[in-house]
Parts: sequence; structure tokens; C-alpha cells
Amino acid sequence: MKKIIVFFGVVTLLISMRPVLGLTNNSASSTLVTTTVSQSSEETGESFISEAFQGIKHFYEYTGFANVAWGNIIMILIGIIFIYLAIKFDYEPLLLIPIGIGVIIGNIPFVAGNQTGIYESGSVLNYLYFGVVKGIYPPLIFLGIGAMTDFSSLIANPKLMLLGAAAQIGVFGTFLGALYLGFNLPEAGAIGIIGGADGPTAIFLSSKLANGVNILPDGTTVKNLIGPIAIAAYSYMALVPVIQPPIMRLLISKKERVIKMKPPRAVSQKEKMIFPVVALLLTTFISPSALPLLGMLFFGNLLKESGRTERLAETARTKMIDIVTILLGVTVGASTQADIFITKDSMLIFGLGAISFVIATMGGLLFAKFMNLFLKGDNKINPLIGAAGVSAVPDSARVVRSEGIKADKHNYLLMHAMAPNVSGVIGSAIAAGIILSFLG
Amino acid sequence: MRPIFLYNNTLDEGYIILITGLLIVFSGLLLLTLFFKFGLPFLLYIYKIITKGPDKKINEISSKVNEEFTGEIAAAISAAVHMYLDERHDKENAILTIKQARKLYSPWSSKIYGVYSRKL
Repeated sequence: MKKIIVFFGVVTLLISMRPVLGLTNNSASSTLVTTTVSQSSEETGESFISEAFQGIKHFYEYTGFANVAWGNIIMILIGIIFIYLAIKFDYEPLLLIPIGIGVIIGNIPFVAGNQTGIYESGSVLNYLYFGVVKGIYPPLIFLGIGAMTDFSSLIANPKLMLLGAAAQIGVFGTFLGALYLGFNLPEAGAIGIIGGADGPTAIFLSSKLANGVNILPDGTTVKNLIGPIAIAAYSYMALVPVIQPPIMRLLISKKERVIKMKPPRAVSQKEKMIFPVVALLLTTFISPSALPLLGMLFFGNLLKESGRTERLAETARTKMIDIVTILLGVTVGASTQADIFITKDSMLIFGLGAISFVIATMGGLLFAKFMNLFLKGDNKINPLIGAAGVSAVPDSARVVRSEGIKADKHNYLLMHAMAPNVSGVIGSAIAAGIILSFLG
Repeated sequence: MRPIFLYNNTLDEGYIILITGLLIVFSGLLLLTLFFKFGLPFLLYIYKIITKGPDKKINEISSKVNEEFTGEIAAAISAAVHMYLDERHDKENAILTIKQARKLYSPWSSKIYGVYSRKL
């Protein structure tokens, strides 16, 4: 300790001596050395203090304290709330913790022009954000999802695929709502996809439609809504266990809730292998714009089901999806820089997002009831699984399971609910492709 | 590519997209449904015919055979196989010797306290 103090004492002495020494070197006459030194040391003492103050002031101007705005503080608080929700209530912690810390990172106030912020070209965060803006991360996430997902319950009971389509009414309903609120067409399309309850799809579509770069036919530029849309989609996905149960209880009667579905038949490996190839062909021929998403989804699934590429599937569903999720979460969080994020549009998007989840859930539930009109006896489906049609894999399926168990202790709906759940992913990707082909 | 809007009014355009979009999503997934309901069993049947010859009957091959064999049965069987392979207890190590535990110092067994107590 003593040594350190002595060392720093010497260093500070040397630093404070330097101007003095410099002055003595400059002084021409050597006879007046002592007086000049004493005088100039006084002068330098004064200017040194003022310079030091100037330096400190300059430094202060660069700190967050000098540049902080109310928006930043609000957003930082929101980030902390995200982290709290994720840790305390276990709401999608894998997403909310990266996003929450990203929100904090993105809202640390800074002086513009030093390549710090996520929106400044050339900054590190900006390079990472590139994957969001250009829609690179979402297909990679879909590859991992494909390598994780077991489509066998869907193959065993193909009619449940329609529930995934029914829930997409949330996408188009929200699209219309956004148009009513005065958003232009591409923006409304990007907002609508929140109803697909699928984070990667929402980011993919908004990066193509509402990226702040595209120019509309009337000459105006679209707004950059990627941040608000992604945050809305992910936060409502995390809130699925809160949003869905009341709607389920409202629309589905007690009698319908206890319907027991017969267990799905076992699916052969051949069928599982054929599924990704055929589904890829059929869906992408219908909606080629969704190719990056659906192509990767079914590619990942084939890796899993082929039985020969277990190594690749293992990487896709563990390490790779983790890496991309980390980058995606933190950059999407950081993109909520207050001066760009806190606008009236963002608030409207959040409102529309909540409505879209409600519409999507209702669409799925009501369509399940509608399907039941045509099904008889053993084949009847429990309308609760319609709610799983909003993708939000696997949270909405879990919600269905817990609601099913509340109604009847021995009614396990998880496997049945996974079918509309995964078809919801396919459905929302198709819907994104359709919106893209109409408005892109 | 510049989109060509059919109407100048964005809301009209919106309705068109709403209806066509929903229709396309439904038809897409309906197509998939129909394929897996009818197309796939047919494909598998053809595959069987190619590989095994036409001596089998249709009802032996179709996926309806699997109707009785549900996922629950599969789970029960695989659980049993797993138990048989990994959870067996009859091959436990039968040598029952008491291993000598390493003696760690503890004040409870310390000699020095005994010495003191004798003194007092």
C-alpha cells in the first residue's frame, strides 16, 4: 500500500512539474531562472487548475449525467422491469433478460458522433443490429426452431393444422386496425404480424416493410418500427399466460373444456421425413416471400428427422439458436433508444399488439368450436387447443395444458395443443409472406 | 419492386389484403392438411408396393394400422426399455465394505480440549 502511494505521489509530482520544466527550457536567459520559475510556477498553478476544471467539465459533458433525458430514465426502468419479470416470474427469461439488458444498454445517454449508439453507422452495436435490419437473425432462429420441433402430433392429426390458420385472423385484423389508426400500408402490415405471436417473423417482416429506408409511392419514407414491433411481439409472447386464460374461460363452456381427445396415433419415421420436404414445397410455392423463414424451418426439421445429421441438428437447436437469440435479444433491446422509441406510434403499436393477441386467441378458439360442429363422437376436439394456434411456441400450448388440467385433472392436452401451436408458426410465416408479396 | 395498389384508398386495399390473405393462409394449410390426410398414405402405399411388391393388401399398409398404436403405448414401451437398459438394480456392486473415512480435524474430537478439561 505504501509503495503504491509513493509511486502515485512521484507520478503526480512529475506530471505537475512538467509545465514548469517546459517553461524553464523555453526561457532564454539563464540568469533569471529562479525568479521566472517562481513567477511562472504561480501562473501555471492557476492555469493548471482552470485547465483541470476545463478538463473535468469537458469530461462531464461526455458523461451520461449531462446528457440524460427523461426518456432514457423511463426506458432504463422498463429494462429493469423486464429483467425483474424474467427472473421473478420466469416469463420467457431467455428472451426478456437479453432484451431487458439491451434496453438498458441502448438507453445509456451518450454524445452523438463517436460511433457509440446503435443507430450510428460504424458502431459495434450498429454492426450487430445489421442482422436485425437486414432480417438475417430470424431465419437462423427458424432453423433452430425447426431442429427442435416435433411435427408428429400434426402429422397424426392433420386437421388441427387449420387452427393455426384460424389464429392468423389476428394478423389481418390488426393490419386493418393499424390502417384505421392512420398507419400507411407497409407499416400496418408490419404491425399486423405482431398478431402472429412469433418474434422472428415479426422482426423479419418489419425489417422488410417498416425499416425507415423504403420509400412509398407518394414519396415519403416509411418509419422505422422494428424496435417497437419486436418489443411488442416479444413482451406479449411473454405475457401469453396472462392474456389467454381469461379469453379461454370467456368463450369455452365448462362442458367443452372437459372434452377428452383420443391420443394421437404413432407416426412413422418415414412420415416425419416426408413432412418437411412436402410442407416446404407446398407452403413456399404458395407464398415464396416467406422462403427465408419456411425454408430454414423445414431445413432444420429435416436435419432432425433425417436421422443422419444429428450433429447438425444438435448444433442448430442448441448452440446456434442460443448465439442468435443472444444477439437478437440484446440488439432489439438496444434499438429502443428513447429518442427514437418513445413516440406516439410506439404506444399505438403496443395497444394494437395487445388487441392482436386477443383477436388471434379468439379466432383460434372460435374456429375450434366451429370445427366441432362437423366432428362426431370420438373425433371431437377440445376447443381449448384452438388458443394454441397463436404460435408463441411453446407457451400457448402450456397455457392450454394448464387450463385443461384445471377443468379436468386427467385431461392432458399438451400433445394435442402442440399441433396447432407448430402449425401457427407455419401459418404466421405464410401470412408474413403474403403481406410481403402484397406490400413489399 | 414497386407494389401496384388496386385502389387509392388504403382501407380498401387493406380489406382486399385481409380477405385474400386469410384465404391464402387457409388454403395453404388446408392443402397441407389434405395432403397429410390422403396424399401421404397413398405415397407410403406406393412406396411399399415398389419395395415389397404388390402382395400386400391396402389395409395392411395404410396408416390406419397405427390407429390403435397410440403415442401413450409407445411412451410406455420406451419407458420399459429404458428401465430395462439403464435403471436395473440387480447388477449392483455386492461388495459391502465400510470405507475408511478420512479423519478431518474437528474441535469436537480435539485432544487439546481433553487436556484442558483434565487440568480444570
